[in-house]
Amino acid sequence: MSQADSLHGRFRTHVSELADALDANDEAAFRGAFERLREQLNVELNPELRRLAAEAQSAMRRFRERARLEVLADQEVPDARKRLAHVVKLTEEAAHRTLDLVEQSSPLVDRTSLGAAQLVEEWGLHGSRQLAVSTMWPERVIETLERTLKDSEHLKRHLSQMLLAQGYQDLSGQIISSVITLVIELESVLGQLVALANGEDTRRMPVLKLDSTQPMPEALMATGPQVPGISRGIVVEDQADIDALLASVAAGK
Amino acid sequence: MSNAMKFLVVDDFSTMRRIVKGLLNELGYSDITEADDGTTALPLLKNGAFDFLITDWNMPGMPGLDLLKAVRGDAKLAKLPVLMLTAEAKREQIIEAAQAGVSGYVIKPFTAATLKEKIDKILASKAAA
Repeated sequence: MSQADSLHGRFRTHVSELADALDANDEAAFRGAFERLREQLNVELNPELRRLAAEAQSAMRRFRERARLEVLADQEVPDARKRLAHVVKLTEEAAHRTLDLVEQSSPLVDRTSLGAAQLVEEWGLHGSRQLAVSTMWPERVIETLERTLKDSEHLKRHLSQMLLAQGYQDLSGQIISSVITLVIELESVLGQLVALANGEDTRRMPVLKLDSTQPMPEALMATGPQVPGISRGIVVEDQADIDALLASVAAGK
Repeated sequence: MSNAMKFLVVDDFSTMRRIVKGLLNELGYSDITEADDGTTALPLLKNGAFDFLITDWNMPGMPGLDLLKAVRGDAKLAKLPVLMLTAEAKREQIIEAAQAGVSGYVIKPFTAATLKEKIDKILASKAAA
């Protein structure tokens, strides 16, 4: 360390000036000496402050680029809200559909059960008197069986529709999975933000990205069910339009 | 083709596999095998003498589109009817699937009638070929 860089070399003059002004009880000289000492301190402090500010700015810029903060804040978090709202709607609709079908099925089962019970009761009352072979009895049995057949068909249709209604789990599951991926990324970003605030180096920290596992063009990437309010390019949902599109591609081959 | 046909249903959601299996049962098909993605489906297809493949698109591991391409690229499986049953509805995706040789494409949610119609149509065109 040179003479000029030493504590003595840097501050001796200022301290002497301060001491002289103090001894002379010269307030103006004292303030002047104090001001020069402050400037000297600033001169030494500023480059360090500038370096620290530049480093912080650079780390923040790197972090913003890597963490896709704008995309997350402006697009993906609001999209996630819409996705979850759509899941609520899907699950509600499926539950109502299933409950409606159960309510519609219940009277059919009751009627079938009642018809069978009435036949059994009549058989018990009159069977011994051989009414079963009377003209009335076969007609009653046939009526009941025909009604049972019709009700069974309805019941089967209801059960099939209940089966299909459970498809909401696949659709909502796909939507929730995409939101979970986003939450994992946000968790990573928040962790890095905390690290940045603590002055740690974030350069080597990984940032997870959505859909990073699929090495295919963006237009072909699987994005799951369509969600109202989230645009993903041109969508074809009508079955007739899909069939026409398939036919036109086949014809062009 | 008869109702003794062998189906392979590929979907990562077990609920959807059960739904499709249930609907196939209602249509009279009972020989149904399940797989949860293309990676597990492909060896089954190569060894199983299946008559019909129904597959989802969006699956971890090997997606349905890659499975379709693998099927069409395999001399023994190339003519297998493949129905894509998926929530993926972008025009580019449907065109890509068509170019890869998909036999039919149905968007979820679907109806039992649509599934039946597509299976019948695919089988009819296979029989006519």
